[in-house]
Amino acid sequence: MTSIPDAIAPEAGAAQAAAAAAESPAREAWRMFRRNVPALVGVGILAVILAATLYGALLYPGNPYEIVWAPHEPPGATAAFPLGTDYLGRDLVAGLLTGGGPTLAVGAAAAALTMAIGVSLGALAGYFGGWVDDLLMRLTEFFQVLPTLLFAMVLVTLFSPTLWTIAFAIGVVSWPQTARLTRAEFLKIRQLEYVTAARAIGARNGRIMWRVILPNAAPPLIVSATLTIGVAILFEAGLSFLGLGDPNTMSWGLMIGANREYVLDAWWPVTFPGLAIFLTVFAVSLIGDGLNDALNPKLRGR
Amino acid sequence: MGGTGWLLRRLGYGVILLVGVVVLNFLLIRLAPGDPAEVIAGEMGGATEEVLAGIRASYGLDKPLLTQLGLYLANVAQGDLGMSYFFDRPVAELIGRRIGPTILLVLTAQALSVVIGVALGVIAARKPNGPLSAFVSVFAVIGYAVPVFWTGIMLIILFASVIPIFPVEGMADIRLRDAPWWEQALDVAHHLVLPAFTLAVIYLAQYARLSRASMLDVMGADYIRTARAKGASEGTVLFRHALRNAMLPILTVAGLQFGNLISGALLVETVFNWPGMGRLAFESILRRDYPTLLGVLFFASMMVVVANIVTDLSYRLADPRLRNAK
Amino acid sequence: MKPARLARRLTAAALAATVSAAALAPASAQEEGGSLVLVTTQVPRHLNGAVQSGTATAVPSTQLFASLLRYDEGWEPQPYLAESWEVSDDGLTATFTLVEGATFHDGEPITSEDVAFSIMTTKEHHPFTTMFAPVESIDTPDARTVVMNLSQPHPALMLALSPALSPILPKHVYGDGQDPKTHPANSEPVGSGPFMLEAFEQGESVVLKKNPNFFVEGRPKLDEIIIRVIGDQSALLISMENGEADMYPFAASSQALSRLQDTDRLVVAPEGYAAVGPINWLAFNTKNEKLSDPRVRRAIGYAVDREFIVNALHRGFSGIQRGPIIESSPFFYPAIPAYPVDLDKAAALLEEAGYGDGMTLTVDYLPGVPEQQKNVAEYLKSQLGKIGIEVEVRAAPDFPTWANRISNHDFEMTMDIVFNWGDPVIGVHRTYLSDNIREGVIWSNTQQYENPKVDEILAEAGVETDPVRREELYHEFQRIVAEDLPIYWINSLPYHTIHDRRIGDAPTGIWGVMHPMDRVHWAESKE
Repeated sequence: MTSIPDAIAPEAGAAQAAAAAAESPAREAWRMFRRNVPALVGVGILAVILAATLYGALLYPGNPYEIVWAPHEPPGATAAFPLGTDYLGRDLVAGLLTGGGPTLAVGAAAAALTMAIGVSLGALAGYFGGWVDDLLMRLTEFFQVLPTLLFAMVLVTLFSPTLWTIAFAIGVVSWPQTARLTRAEFLKIRQLEYVTAARAIGARNGRIMWRVILPNAAPPLIVSATLTIGVAILFEAGLSFLGLGDPNTMSWGLMIGANREYVLDAWWPVTFPGLAIFLTVFAVSLIGDGLNDALNPKLRGR
Repeated sequence: MGGTGWLLRRLGYGVILLVGVVVLNFLLIRLAPGDPAEVIAGEMGGATEEVLAGIRASYGLDKPLLTQLGLYLANVAQGDLGMSYFFDRPVAELIGRRIGPTILLVLTAQALSVVIGVALGVIAARKPNGPLSAFVSVFAVIGYAVPVFWTGIMLIILFASVIPIFPVEGMADIRLRDAPWWEQALDVAHHLVLPAFTLAVIYLAQYARLSRASMLDVMGADYIRTARAKGASEGTVLFRHALRNAMLPILTVAGLQFGNLISGALLVETVFNWPGMGRLAFESILRRDYPTLLGVLFFASMMVVVANIVTDLSYRLADPRLRNAK
Repeated sequence: MKPARLARRLTAAALAATVSAAALAPASAQEEGGSLVLVTTQVPRHLNGAVQSGTATAVPSTQLFASLLRYDEGWEPQPYLAESWEVSDDGLTATFTLVEGATFHDGEPITSEDVAFSIMTTKEHHPFTTMFAPVESIDTPDARTVVMNLSQPHPALMLALSPALSPILPKHVYGDGQDPKTHPANSEPVGSGPFMLEAFEQGESVVLKKNPNFFVEGRPKLDEIIIRVIGDQSALLISMENGEADMYPFAASSQALSRLQDTDRLVVAPEGYAAVGPINWLAFNTKNEKLSDPRVRRAIGYAVDREFIVNALHRGFSGIQRGPIIESSPFFYPAIPAYPVDLDKAAALLEEAGYGDGMTLTVDYLPGVPEQQKNVAEYLKSQLGKIGIEVEVRAAPDFPTWANRISNHDFEMTMDIVFNWGDPVIGVHRTYLSDNIREGVIWSNTQQYENPKVDEILAEAGVETDPVRREELYHEFQRIVAEDLPIYWINSLPYHTIHDRRIGDAPTGIWGVMHPMDRVHWAESKE
C-alpha cells in the first residue's frame, strides 16, 4: 500500500507529452496492465466473486436465512450443504453468496464517498493554496487524529445501522489520506506550464481544476481509489463483526461475528466468510498494484 | 532555539486539535437520538418522569447545550471526564486502568512490526529477485488483505485446541495476583504474544515491502557508491548509510499508521478479551455509556497526537536537513 | 415437595422458626481455605443488590451482604441475621429477633435500625416494587428487635427477605442523604456477609476475601472468591476447561453444556435455579391493532412448535414452559391450555379474525442471548410464514435501545426473558397487573394487558395466607391468561452451574450462587 506522499516532481517532459497526446499514455498503461500477471489474477478473482454475488443465487437457490438443517453441520458431511451450516442451522454457501452483496456494495459506496470528499477538498487545497489550503489542512489533520474505527462506530450507533449509514460513516472517516494525495498532486501540477497557460487565456478556476489538472492527477488517484475500496471492505467487515453492521442483512463480517462464540466447535462458519473477505480485498489490492505499476511513470523500468 | 520553539508550537497545536475533538464528540453524542436520562434510568430498571427529571438535574443534562459543553471542557482541563452512566464511577478512573494494557499492546505490536518488517525488507533487498523478495511481495499483499479479527480468531482456534502453548484470552491469570513481579510480568508477556502478533501482522507486511523498496532506492544512490568506493565494509554501508536513510519513510508511515493501530487494537482486544481501552469503548457503545465513550475517544485521539509529535520529532532528529528547519 | 406442604411453609402465619440445625451444622470432611474462581459473562454495575436487580449484581452482593433469612436447602427459610421470627395470626405484623454480636465489615454492630433502614431503602429504590410494598412501617423497640407492620397479609415476605433481594445495608454509611442508587459505597461496599471486598475492577473482576469476623462461627470456608467477567463465551469455556476457572453459574447455552459435560474434572449441575424461574417467551403488544384480537395471538400460539425449539434449537437442553409460572414451581397449573402445534387450526383462527390474506408483524428480541432470543425470532420468521404471517425481525444494537422500545410500547411482538424470582408476587404479578403498565420501565406490563378479573385474582392471591386457597387462585390466574394469551411462553432457560467436582457444598439451593457461599469449600485439594 503506497502511502508515502509523492513529493518528487515528475519529468516535465512526460507531463507535457501527456497533455499533448492524451490518448497514448492511457493505451500504454493498459498495455502494461495487461502484461502484469498478478493484476490479471486479481481481475479474475474479482470477476468470479462479482459473478457469484450477482448471479450465484440463480444457480444455487438457497435462502440464507432459512433454518434448513441441524446447526453446526460440518462441511462435506452432507451433499446438499457443501460448506455445512452455521450455529442456527443455516446454509453457509447461501450465506456466502448473499453476504457478498452488502459487503461489496458498502465497500464501493464508502470508497465513492471517500473519493468524492477527499478529492474535492484536496483539489481545493492544492489549487488555491493560501488560507484555503491552511484551513482545509487543519480540517484534514483534525479528522486524521480521530481514531477511525471508533469514530465510525460512534456515528453508526448514533444514526442506527443501515447499509447507507455504514457507508456514510466509513466515508466520513477515511477521506483524509485521499485529500492529502490529491492536494500533493494538484500542488505539483498547478505549477506546470500548461496550467499557467490555461490561466493566461482566462479559463475559469473550476474548469482548470476539473478539466485540466484532474485528468493528469488521475493516475495516482485511480490507484488510491482501488485501494480505498479494499480498506472500505475491511472496515465494513470490522463493523459487522462487532455487531454494528446492519443486522437485517447478511454480510460476511456479520457471519464471522455471529459465529464467533461457537468457533471452538465449528470453525467453518468463521473461516469461510473470512476467506471470502480476504480474497476480495486481495484481488482488489492486486489490481491496485497493477494499476500503480501501469500508471506511475516513476516505476517504469524497474 | 528553533527546536524548542518548534516543539512548543507543535504541542500547542496538538492541544487545539484535542479541544476540537472533545467539542465534536460532545456535540455528536448530545445530538444522538434518545434521551441520556432514559438510558441511565434504563440501567436501573426504568423510571417515572420525576425520577428522570432528577437524573437530568444531577447529570446537568437540563442545562443549555453550550453551558454543558463549557462545563465539560473546564472539567476535562482538570482531568475530570465525568461519571460513567453504567458504573457510577469517574470515567478517568475506568480509563486509567485500561490505558496501560492498550499502550502495551499497541507499542509491542508497533515494535514487532517495525523490527521484523524492516529486517525482512533489508534482507530481501540484498537479493531483489530472490525467493525472499518474492515472499515479501506476496506476504505484503496478503497481510494487508486479511481482516485482523479473522486472523485473531484463526490463531485462537490454532492455539486453543491444536497447539495450546499460548493463552488465548485476557492479559493475566488472576490467580497470580499475589505472585512475585517477575512471575506476573512473564505471565503478561505470555498472554501478549498472540494479540500483539495478530495486530502486528498487517503492518509487518507493509514495512517489509516498504523497507525493501526504500533500501533499493537508497542503495542505488550516489553516496552509497561513494562509500563503497572509499572502501567501507558492506555492513557499514548497509547499516550506517543505507538503513539510516531508508528508515525515514518507514518512520513517517509508522507514525501515520498509529491511528490505524488503535483501530486495529480495538478489534484485537475484543477478540482476545484484552482489558484495554478499545474493548472498554466497544462495551460502552453497547451500554450507551456516553461519558466513557467520549473519554476513550479523547484519550485515543491524544495518543495519536502524541504519536504524531514523536514521529515528527524523530524525523527531524534523524534527518539533518530538517533539524534546523522552521 | 407436595404443593400444600410447601405452601404451608411459605405462609407467614404458620411460621415460628427455630434454629435449624441443618443450616449451621458443619458439612462433611472439608478443607479450609483456598480460592474459588467463578466466571460469568454478565457485568455488574456495582455490588449493592438492594437498589439493583439482576443476577450480575446479586452474585457478589450476596457474598458481601447478609440478610434476615437464607435458604440453604429447599423453600424453608433459615435463620441468618434473624435468629428467630414470628408472624401474627392476622398476618399484619412480622417480628424478627437479630443474632447477637453481628458486625459490619468496618466493625460497627448490626442493629435493628440498620435493618429498618435497609428494608425501607429497598422498598423505595429496588425495581421490584411488590416485594415490600405492603410494609407500611418498621418499629425498632430495641437493638435486636425488628417489627414490620404490614398493610395486608404478605406471604411473599419470607422470600423477599432472601439475601438476593434484601441485603442489609449499614445505615451509618448510606444514611448520609446521598441517593442510594448512585452512592459511592455501592462500589466499595461495607457489608455484613461472609466475604469482604478486596478489589473491584469494573467490567473485569470482583475479588472477595474472607471476612474474619463473620457472625456465623467457622464460616466462610474459602479464603477468597474471585468473580471474573469474560464476555466471550468461547474464552470462558476455555478457562473452565483448562482449570483457570472453577465455577460457571448460569450456563445455559447448548454449546457450553454439551462441551463441558465431557470434561472429567467438571460437574454440570442443574440445581440452583428453582427460585430464579427463568422463562423465555414471546410477548404481544395487546394494544396493537393487529394483535388486539386474541384469536390472532392464539393462532400464533398454535403455529409455534415448542418441541422443535427445545429439541432442535436448544439441542434438548431447555425445558418446555407453558405458562407464566415456572413449571417446577408448586404453583404451576398442570392443566393449563398449552396450544400444541397445529398449523391448520392456526390458519383457521387467522381467517376467522379477518387475516386470511395474511399479515405482517415485527418481532424484536433481547440482544446478547442469541440461542434463546435471536434464533427463536428467526425461527418464528420461517414458521409463521407458513400461516401467512410475514415476520420482520427487528434487531436492536444494544440492550438500552431494545429496553427503550419495549418499555415505550414501540413494538408489535418481542422475545423476552423474565424471571419469576421466587414468589409469584415478586416476579410474576408485574407482568399481568393492569396498574403496572408503566411507560419507560422495562419488565413492567409492557404488553399493556388489561383484565380486571386477573387483577382481582392476583390481588387476592397476594394476600392469601391459606396455601390451598392460594394455589387455587394461581391456577385460575394461569387458566385465564393462557386463554387471553398476552404472552406465549416457550421454554425455561436451562441454567446450570458447572463446577469443579472437588468442590464441596456447591451452591445448589433454590437461589444457587445468588446466596452466601460460606459453606462452599474444597473437599479435595486443587493441587
